[in-house]
Amino acid sequence: SSALPVINSEDMCPVCKTIRYLNKDMEFLINPECYHSMCVNCVNRLFNDGPNQCPYAGCHKTLRRKGFRSAFFGDLAVEREVDIRRRVAAVFNQSEDDFETLRDYNNYLQMVEDLTFDLVSGTDARRRAAEATLQQWEAEHRADIERNRKAGREADEQTRRRLAAEREAARQRRVEALREAEEEKRERARSREAELDSLAQGGDGGGPGAQRVQLKRRGQAAANRAVEAAVNAAVGAADVGRLSIRGLKEKKKAPAPEGPYDPFGGMDFVPSRYKLRAGLTHPGVEKYKADPAHITGGYSFDEYAARAMYEAFAGLGVFIEDEKEVGIGLSAGEVATISAGIAAVGDRMELD
Amino acid sequence: MATEDARYRQSSQYQLWSFSPSQLAAMREKTNAAARARIAERLASQPASSRNTSAPTSSANTPDPDGASTPALPEFLTPAEEALLVTFYVSELLRAGDHAEMTDEIKATAAAFFRRFYVTNSIMTYPPTEMLIVALFFACKAEGAFPSITDFGKTFGRENPEEILAGEFLLCQGLRFAIDVKHPFRALRGAVMELSTLPGIEPARLTAAEHRAREILRFSPLMTDAYFHYTPSQIMLAALSLADRGLAERLITETFHYVEPPANNSGADTPASSGPDAPAAPKRTAPRSSGGGGSGEDRAQIIGSHIRDKVLGAIEACRDMLSKELPERREHWTNRAVIKAQITPIRKKLNKCHDPERWNLVELQRARREQASRRADSEDRDPAEGRGGGKGGTLEDDAAVFGAPLPLSQASRDPKRRKVGGEAERKGLDDPFGPPL
Repeated sequence: SSALPVINSEDMCPVCKTIRYLNKDMEFLINPECYHSMCVNCVNRLFNDGPNQCPYAGCHKTLRRKGFRSAFFGDLAVEREVDIRRRVAAVFNQSEDDFETLRDYNNYLQMVEDLTFDLVSGTDARRRAAEATLQQWEAEHRADIERNRKAGREADEQTRRRLAAEREAARQRRVEALREAEEEKRERARSREAELDSLAQGGDGGGPGAQRVQLKRRGQAAANRAVEAAVNAAVGAADVGRLSIRGLKEKKKAPAPEGPYDPFGGMDFVPSRYKLRAGLTHPGVEKYKADPAHITGGYSFDEYAARAMYEAFAGLGVFIEDEKEVGIGLSAGEVATISAGIAAVGDRMELD
Repeated sequence: MATEDARYRQSSQYQLWSFSPSQLAAMREKTNAAARARIAERLASQPASSRNTSAPTSSANTPDPDGASTPALPEFLTPAEEALLVTFYVSELLRAGDHAEMTDEIKATAAAFFRRFYVTNSIMTYPPTEMLIVALFFACKAEGAFPSITDFGKTFGRENPEEILAGEFLLCQGLRFAIDVKHPFRALRGAVMELSTLPGIEPARLTAAEHRAREILRFSPLMTDAYFHYTPSQIMLAALSLADRGLAERLITETFHYVEPPANNSGADTPASSGPDAPAAPKRTAPRSSGGGGSGEDRAQIIGSHIRDKVLGAIEACRDMLSKELPERREHWTNRAVIKAQITPIRKKLNKCHDPERWNLVELQRARREQASRRADSEDRDPAEGRGGGKGGTLEDDAAVFGAPLPLSQASRDPKRRKVGGEAERKGLDDPFGPPL
């Protein structure tokens, strides 16, 4: 399709060539059939008496008066695309919740986008195919579409209601705050009056005591409210506590105190089969005891002896064949005899 | 339970890579069957012409020709043939290590890596000649000697370092990332240290025994499945008993010297218990039953006669296993006649039945990288962010032996991200003074 022109707010109607100078309030309308814009006067003139051909050169589409509307976007290509998307969205209105996995949802979105792309900027053949797919889908999934639409409307309603409630609550709070401020002012005025009266009647008025009382009263309303809230919370917690105490008292106990932290996690490094004596050495190691490359860093040759001894005895009592077959500490032969014994006796349970 | 045994049971060698003989045989069968199935699939899907380029050789071990006829599947290796090839290539690996003058630990680690890799992967899937070099390289790194890849390549005549690096991650995965292999070499030193403190042993005898035992340990356990079935301590004692039976027995009897007191079964220590294990090491840990230091039951369990007999039995069995591949057999594995008779036919079979996609490791790695970057392209729209080395593909395909593959991140369920309300709320949020009170 050819590039669609951009409506300039100050320009002339392409049909009657009227310029804005001549008609200050010139408005342009478009028809979604071909997205050609023309001024209102032209629309009235051409289409008031029934359907007529689009006046643009080369556009042979039959337009009707009621199809015309004002464009929202200045760029008519965008307008066209938005219309198409609106149409597609009316048909493909499933949401993420309808899908099992995110991947399925993304595949669906991809399919929809591909379809939209074909509709917006595909070749004629593709566009027709896409339209056909759209119609077909609508016909097939009418029920689903209706359901989703209803669900969407409900979701929107809920959001609107929630927002309204929040705004209402905010308004209430503001009103409350105002009222309290007024109340405090009145209280203060009244107490001042009372003080003056008491002074006039001869009492000393308490001096600093009265002032302190005065000061307290300024935030009194807020303090009262806080106290009430705390009391309510305590009562509420006590209620909750009472409920939980009935059934779940055990959870409140502190966990049993753990022992001191064991960095080795229960592993024991004391050898069972050998004893590390001081004099263990080997001729192959002796020659390094005078080598500065080894001594300078503080290498302890007892470490080597300990490692060598450990490796000599580690795993000596580990019988892989037995352990991998039946388990640690058992022997495959013994397990076989035991199970054979059980099978021979049979495990009949006699009930008298 | 002895503390050393408890500590050994924490090692990955015990937990992941120790099996009973039947379990190991079952695993090898499973690997073989899985590889056969996969390779059969791949060969069947390939066009017939590319396969017929291999000249049909006349050898006694391949009776059915698969040349110009209909796309028949080649004859696959049996698990026994695979095991024989693995042993042969381990001997080649050790020779290569000798040529590069690597230490005993590095050669042994490399051989252990090689063996472990070919338990869960079939020799038909990945080329053993390549994995051999990769194992040596990785073992160098694992044992703390970090050679430069180019120098390493030069030593073995591989000009392209890519060939070695391509198989590295594969090897790691095949090892289940259990890089620490425990060897009997230092254990031998420890045994000799202990023996040298005992009275009545001449130093010359000890040195000769150690020398011979070390010779055995460099070769025999790696050429058999000893590392899978026995702990390093048991292997060491078996080698020592092959070198000098008397010494090994002396060590065992000195260790397992505890005699249960016949009269009183209380927990009191008998003053007659000789030997270096005086009850000076009180057992403080909580899991021990019946408190107090050194109760009779515990000590009997750890160093009593019953367990001694069991240990002796295990060492005898290991000794039998090792004696099948004494160091004198090195010549056997390099003997041209033997190789021609036994190994070459299997290699010819291997040439026909190997996995075409996986045989060239460099190509494989490149293909996986491309696949990963393509997947990242389509997902993230950021082409520079690829996953390393085709991890995804490898996890899916090659970890079949370990059970269910690890879940990829795409398949996992992300917590549902909810939209922030409808339009109205969004307008509230756009308000510069924030949402209403």
